Amino acid sequence: MTLATQTQGGGHVDRGGGSGGGGSSGLADVVELILDKGLVIDVFVRVSLVGIEILTIDARIVVASVDTFLRFAEATNRLDLYGAGKGGKDITELTQGIMEGGAKGKTSGVLDAAVDKVGELLGGNDEEREEAPRRRPRQRTREREG
Amino acid sequence: MSATYVYGLVSADAELPEDLVGLGPSGKVTTIAHESVAAIVGDVPLDRPLGTRDDLVAHEGVVDAVAAVTTVLPMRFPAVVEEEGVVEELLAPHHDQFVRALEQLEGKIQYTLKGTYEQDVLLREIVEEDAGIRELHERIRELPEDAAYYDRVELGERIVKALEQRRDVDAADVLERIGEYAVDVSATTPTQPEDVVNAAFLVDREAAEEFEDAVEELGADTSEWLRLRLLGPLAPYDFIPQDDRTE
Repeated sequence: MTLATQTQGGGHVDRGGGSGGGGSSGLADVVELILDKGLVIDVFVRVSLVGIEILTIDARIVVASVDTFLRFAEATNRLDLYGAGKGGKDITELTQGIMEGGAKGKTSGVLDAAVDKVGELLGGNDEEREEAPRRRPRQRTREREG
Repeated sequence: MSATYVYGLVSADAELPEDLVGLGPSGKVTTIAHESVAAIVGDVPLDRPLGTRDDLVAHEGVVDAVAAVTTVLPMRFPAVVEEEGVVEELLAPHHDQFVRALEQLEGKIQYTLKGTYEQDVLLREIVEEDAGIRELHERIRELPEDAAYYDRVELGERIVKALEQRRDVDAADVLERIGEYAVDVSATTPTQPEDVVNAAFLVDREAAEEFEDAVEELGADTSEWLRLRLLGPLAPYDFIPQDDRTE
């Protein structure tokens, strides 16, 4: 994303979507636009008559939960790693912090559920790989907690 | 009977870009016109369900490429109808409604702006400014992770609340600053605590550059604490007049 900013020449705003090739437009952005918005006409409801199967795509909203609160508590604790903190974090904690940083995607998008689902349907697309595997490190962290 | 995918609607005299690639096996994108409205259509893959990543991206790609050159009413994904139905069921019965909607959106395009806090910057600020949060934070640091579970939940909850309070103010500022370059604004309430704005702006085509400049300027002024992402120009997804339901 940062790279995209620089090539666009703007500097402070990431650009994506639209007709400009849409190179940096994420799947989540696309999903949010075309599944959630746009014109709906009742004739399309009868699509089953044509024998076309439509995948159900779930774009439910993630609400604030204990998971979210813990995520922010953890992020706050991590601040001291490079702030004017009193030190004292050992290497295990440091590693954990990094892993959790990578796991941010888990709860950070309204449309993650949909993205994952869509992702499951498509093997081997490079772009999609960027978005899906972020879940894993978080799970490992959880096991340790439990 | 053959199935037809409908990407969106344009005025019958609109000219589409030539290099559109649809989601069907042929990839072809054409139009079917009825009086003053035309549907942007293409074929449909019959050997697999619709809804893959490529399908979604193709739908958006077609609609937004058309939006770049002319006014388009984008369909919600997925829109499939029988070929004969395009005129009989879609265009003819809704003709006047589509004409009105196209007229309303004539010469306008959408931008979607998403803003997210630079998390660390905001967290630092909140911890510094709120004595209660700072105290809780210090206490947690002294305790092993398991022992501090409920404290951590409380800390997170208070931080989320503090973020949301700031967001209300910051989002209003952003909308006020950028909103004057748009003819209409549709803001969605963010669902994640670090999200500040998620808003669609309907902008006159002629004012697009001005709008983009304003966003860029906003980005420059707020770059230390706010990460902005601008999508567009897009089809007016968020501004479709929905008067169909009552007819």
